[in-house]
Amino acid sequence: MSKPAHAPLVEVRDVEKIYPGGTKVAAVRGVSFSVARGEFTALAGPSGSGKSTLLNVIGTLDRPTKGEVLFEGAPVSRLGADQLADFRLRALGFVFQAYNLVPVLTAVENVEYPLVLQGAGYAERRREALEALRRVGLDKEADRLPDRLSGGQQQRVAVARAIVHRPALVLADEPTANLDSKTGAALLELMEELNREAGVTFLFSSHDPAVLSRARRVVRLADGALAGEETRDA
Amino acid sequence: MLRLAWRNVWRNRRRSLINAASMAFGLAAIMFGQSLMRSLQSQLVEKSTGSITGQIQIQDPRVEQMKMPDRFIKDPAPIAAAVARDPRVLAGAGRITLTSLISTPQTSVGVLVVAVDPAVQERITDMSRYVSSGRYLSGGKDLYLGDKLARRLDLRLGEKAVIMAQAADGSLGADVFRLVGTFHTASESFDNSIAYVPLPAFQALLGRPGQINNYVLKLKDLDQVDAVRDSLESALKGRPVRVLTWKDIDHEILGVEQFQDAILDVVLVVVFAIVALGILNTQLMSLFERVREFGVLMSIGARPRWILRLILTESALLGAVGVAAGTAVGAALIWHFGRAGLPLPVGQAFSYFLPFPSVIYLRPSWGAHAFACAAVFAIALLSALPPALRAARLKPAEALRHV
Ligand SMILES: Nc1ncnc2c1ncn2[C@@H]1O[C@H](COP(=O)(O)OP(=O)(O)OP(=O)(O)O)[C@@H](O)[C@H]1O
Ligand SMILES: [Mg+2]
Repeated sequence: MSKPAHAPLVEVRDVEKIYPGGTKVAAVRGVSFSVARGEFTALAGPSGSGKSTLLNVIGTLDRPTKGEVLFEGAPVSRLGADQLADFRLRALGFVFQAYNLVPVLTAVENVEYPLVLQGAGYAERRREALEALRRVGLDKEADRLPDRLSGGQQQRVAVARAIVHRPALVLADEPTANLDSKTGAALLELMEELNREAGVTFLFSSHDPAVLSRARRVVRLADGALAGEETRDA
Repeated sequence: MLRLAWRNVWRNRRRSLINAASMAFGLAAIMFGQSLMRSLQSQLVEKSTGSITGQIQIQDPRVEQMKMPDRFIKDPAPIAAAVARDPRVLAGAGRITLTSLISTPQTSVGVLVVAVDPAVQERITDMSRYVSSGRYLSGGKDLYLGDKLARRLDLRLGEKAVIMAQAADGSLGADVFRLVGTFHTASESFDNSIAYVPLPAFQALLGRPGQINNYVLKLKDLDQVDAVRDSLESALKGRPVRVLTWKDIDHEILGVEQFQDAILDVVLVVVFAIVALGILNTQLMSLFERVREFGVLMSIGARPRWILRLILTESALLGAVGVAAGTAVGAALIWHFGRAGLPLPVGQAFSYFLPFPSVIYLRPSWGAHAFACAAVFAIALLSALPPALRAARLKPAEALRHV
């Protein structure tokens, strides 16, 4: 994929998502915005406003009904399943609300999974995975299975997995929703630190004001449409 | 991948164990059945060929009832020569098998007289092993009878009986034989209707010196009957003889074999169906529980094919465990009943016609077992295919919504 220097990292162009079914739900209607490299941006909005739907479309986990998502200037939404998988493997990291980890794999094995998929050798991927775990402060828990980790620790492992292959963008759909406020704040702090120090671009969703207050830019959704945007200096 | 698949297999230990156990049990049952059938069949063949039929017979081509050859071979010397040249032959000898009348002062009974060279015949058929009183034939005008037949004739050891049969010139040949021993095989048809006499004395009675009506062979290896038949046939080409294997003569045994094989096939299919449904069911259940996890894997960049391979690998591992356990259990069963023997009422049914043991010693039949193993393994893989394909076709966003 060519990389026009001027193109934003992600550009959402007039994206609409209508869920098929008896009552057709227009979860996202005509949303356009873009995210530049190095941003630490939140998608805000009440429950049902379309945050998850939009993040899924941006993350190529779902296809838009209309509109286009461009990544570094190139449209990605219409690629085939294998190409999309390869794209995600190379360019994206994901953190979900819960149940991110494969329960039969230890923390470090979960973190190295993307590198396994990329075909990296054992020594290299172990080293990278341990480094990512160290970044999230869990190198001592590397050999624990997910059910031996607290909820906050599990989310940190998920963050480590999302950054281990140095993706251009990490998408996090309500990463703190299942955590208490203190643990949630700590997770946000970690993400912020990774953004500041390692330059990882984050786009995350939340409806928690405390979480949103940490974002440098907040894009608001209401009823599937854009409803304003705020920027705050770091 | 392999490690991940292996851990996934044991994720729901109980379910996987039940699954593997059902495969193992099915396989063990199949192996046991195969071994039982094959052992029974080979016993049947061994007993039939070893007691009366022999493995190969050479007869006059005009004979219609191969069990009752009514045509004589005037010069068996070329046969003996051809047989002697074949290293695969353990022993061979000319015989006369003929229905005759045996008389004592009390009564007369129609019997099948088998006139043999006592020494050689012992190496071909095992009738000398069933002596119940007196001794086996040695020569002269010895007579060796089934114990029931002797009782029917009211003939005791050392007493004489007259054997009458149609001689070469159409007259009634008769001679006196002396009872030297009786046999008991527990087979009604043997013990009640067969009489053994030395060949030269019977040839003299029939006025057919040197003649026989069948030449029986025993090979070193029963499996070579067809090959030996072919080479003897070409060695004896142009002579008025026909080379037959036990399969030509005892075709009812072949029928029994085919019948048993058909039953075995049906059982096999049923067991396979049960195993397949079990795996399909557990796979579907376990995949349903893991839909979200597949969504996560897809989101981090796993291709659909990767998911497919992961699931198939899991099934292959589970199949391997089941097959290994099944082979172990099956082999143990066969080994146990190979040493201890398996009392079988079927044996008594056969023993009406043949000296047949009522206890069967199982022997493994590895070719068939290997096929069963491969089939169970293939079933394990195949039945995982539909759920695996389904999982690979999941859309990531939908899979992720699944809880
Ligand atoms: N698979 C689906 N089929 C039909 N409608 C759906 C589906 N997924 C979401 N919706 C609907 O689309 C709208 C947007 O849902 P979405 O999950 O994107 O909102 P959200 O902002 O993430 O909400 P929450 O904060 O509760 O996670 C809602 O009205 C929801 O009911
Ligand atoms: Mg949501």
